[in-house]
Amino acid sequence: MSLDIHIRHLSTSARTLLRDLHLSVPAGAIHTLMGASGSGKSTVLAAVAGTLPTQAPGLHGDWTVSLNGQCLDALPTERRGIGLLFQDDLLFAHMSVAENLLFAVPPGAKAQRLAAVEHALHEAGLAGLGPRDPATLSGGQRARVALMRALLAQPRALLLDEPFSKLDAALREQFRAFVFDHLRDSGIPALLVTHDAADVADPARVLQLTPPTGPAHA
Amino acid sequence: MTASRPLTAFVLLLFAAVPLLATAGLALAALLNADAWVLLGQSPQWLGAWSMSVWTGLASTALAWWATRALLRRAFVGQWMARLLRPVPAMLATPHAAFAVGLLFLIAPSGWLLRAASPWLTGFDWPPPWPTSQDPWGLGLIVGLAAKEIPFLLWTAATQLQRSDVQQRWQAEHRLALTLGYTPLRAFDTVVWPQLRPRLRWPLLAVLAYGLTVVDMALVIGPGSPLTGAALAWQWLQDADTATQAMGAAAAGTLALSVALCAPLAWWALSGRLGATSRHSGRRGRPAARASATGVLMPALQVLYGAVLLSLAVGSVAGVWPFPAFWPELWTLQAWASVWASAGTVGTTLSLGLASALAALLWSLAWLELAPRQWDKTLRGLLYLPLILPSVLWVLGLYRLTLLAGLEATWTGLWLAHTLMTLPYVLLALSPAYLGFDARVGATCASLGHGRWTLLWRVKWPLLKRAIASAAAVGFAVSVAQYLPTLTVGAGRYATVTTEAVALAAGAQRSLTSAYAWLLFLLPVLGFVLAAWVSRPRRFAAHLASHSAP
Repeated sequence: MSLDIHIRHLSTSARTLLRDLHLSVPAGAIHTLMGASGSGKSTVLAAVAGTLPTQAPGLHGDWTVSLNGQCLDALPTERRGIGLLFQDDLLFAHMSVAENLLFAVPPGAKAQRLAAVEHALHEAGLAGLGPRDPATLSGGQRARVALMRALLAQPRALLLDEPFSKLDAALREQFRAFVFDHLRDSGIPALLVTHDAADVADPARVLQLTPPTGPAHA
Repeated sequence: MTASRPLTAFVLLLFAAVPLLATAGLALAALLNADAWVLLGQSPQWLGAWSMSVWTGLASTALAWWATRALLRRAFVGQWMARLLRPVPAMLATPHAAFAVGLLFLIAPSGWLLRAASPWLTGFDWPPPWPTSQDPWGLGLIVGLAAKEIPFLLWTAATQLQRSDVQQRWQAEHRLALTLGYTPLRAFDTVVWPQLRPRLRWPLLAVLAYGLTVVDMALVIGPGSPLTGAALAWQWLQDADTATQAMGAAAAGTLALSVALCAPLAWWALSGRLGATSRHSGRRGRPAARASATGVLMPALQVLYGAVLLSLAVGSVAGVWPFPAFWPELWTLQAWASVWASAGTVGTTLSLGLASALAALLWSLAWLELAPRQWDKTLRGLLYLPLILPSVLWVLGLYRLTLLAGLEATWTGLWLAHTLMTLPYVLLALSPAYLGFDARVGATCASLGHGRWTLLWRVKWPLLKRAIASAAAVGFAVSVAQYLPTLTVGAGRYATVTTEAVALAAGAQRSLTSAYAWLLFLLPVLGFVLAAWVSRPRRFAAHLASHSAP
């Protein structure tokens, strides 16, 4: 069980961002992708998640992504089974905390779905806060809800796009531990993008991105 | 799904582009008549009417522009922008025609202004023979136009100023200028205004075009002799004689040309080149010790709107009302009974308003959702055609189009005409929020395993509820206010609240006119109130203090 990415090339109309990137993330591992802004690391995530056309219309390239041996290239985002976590929590403002979580739980018996939400709230240390407006939660609480929401959808892999960069130092430490614990428990491959060396989950699994042509772009 | 998106967008485009281009083409084709231009050149009335249009259009635009700038700089410096903008939506919602009728009843010789001063101050026991109701200098029209355009310009400026990134930057630059020793007002003039002004170019052009070519307001409160150019063109277009009609078309074409010629002039005057020397003079400005007249500008405008609307409300229930009396001697609901008896008029207004707002909204939603960004950027000019062409020229095309389609004097033809007029406004109102929607929310929703429809129905549209509801209300208000398209395409067989109010304004039935004008104001306001109610923020469960720890 693993997430396999092979990007032969990825370019904007102006320059080539990446060439010949091979990446294989086994189940339960967290692979870190590092690089300065503009190095194309977020673009890799968008390519894996299948959101490139909507997120960056000017990009083109040639890549293959497969999950557990199944090629994902032809599948739309919603059928890839790949979760996404951004630096902003992106909780839906018109839904309560519990509704945000319930939105992620796959269809099934109502009682079971609600139980899954309750369990997730408890896990995040937010028991009893389900009916609340997400805007009334603290930044750390919202970040935890966002992770629980991504995991409740039972993804087969998770992508994290600088998920810690908007939190302050103390909170960052806590949330990092929270995320890594849950990812290891879930036993799915995860790909983390960051520019901060402190965010690296596993020093053995780090890939530094450098632009293939010309000097590094700031 | 992905592959069929451009195709769907293309079909969608055809639905809007074909009638829009056909209308514009047919309108312009009406100008290709050499005899008509010769006739227009020989007309003894035209030069005077055209001059009146240019005068009222330019004067009202200049007045509105000056007032807007004065208000913005005071409010920006004094940091009461939010307070300045609070009354603006209600002012915007007031249709031009309703405002004109109310203003007429305020300043006419038998109007409230003179009643308030008579006989104790003026000594009048009878209305004086003053030409205040449709003054030959166009002053009433200029005041009415300016009073309607100031809120519009303020609102467009606010959409720029209230973007959080721009606002913070300009406030920081303004503070920086203060540290260099500039007085607050002078700092606004030298730092903020030169950056804001170019962003108001298109709204200013819209104001100028409207002022130069408006018909309904000019018929109510504009001069009777000479008529304004637009009113005269409209009169000619309605003539039974085809040669006169063609002359009317040529007159409408001349007005469109005049707008095109005045626009660069106005832009140059506002380009800042006139004030560039003074801006770079290094003078820091005098300390503003004296109170400025602009301080009373907004209160005065609010009082004017209040008086106009009150005069309509009181007028609609007034029975016997001899001249110097400030209040009517008899109150009656007769006018409202007449309005009620002609419920068909209100029904037509409502059905057209709802149907065209809905059609324009659905089209805009589908377009913004499906059309590739590049198409949308390139084609906006086409979609805004009804805003760019003067309405008196535009209706010429609409009339010919409905004739071709066999839809003249039908409800469907009217609906088509109203929808085409409504579409650009709805699109304008919806675009900023819709295009600004964070693409990552869509990506998040998809990554949770949900398809496109779930995203739209359960996430995107609920989150954009406020913008969608207010765009619909804007569409409804635009449709309700349509005067020329309703008359032309309806061929006199369909009356709406607007056509009734304008037609009655020329007559002596003061209370009935007031009732229709008041209703004309009320309908759009109800639309906006409904939109606000629909998009009221959700109320979540009460906060629990014990859980608010981080």
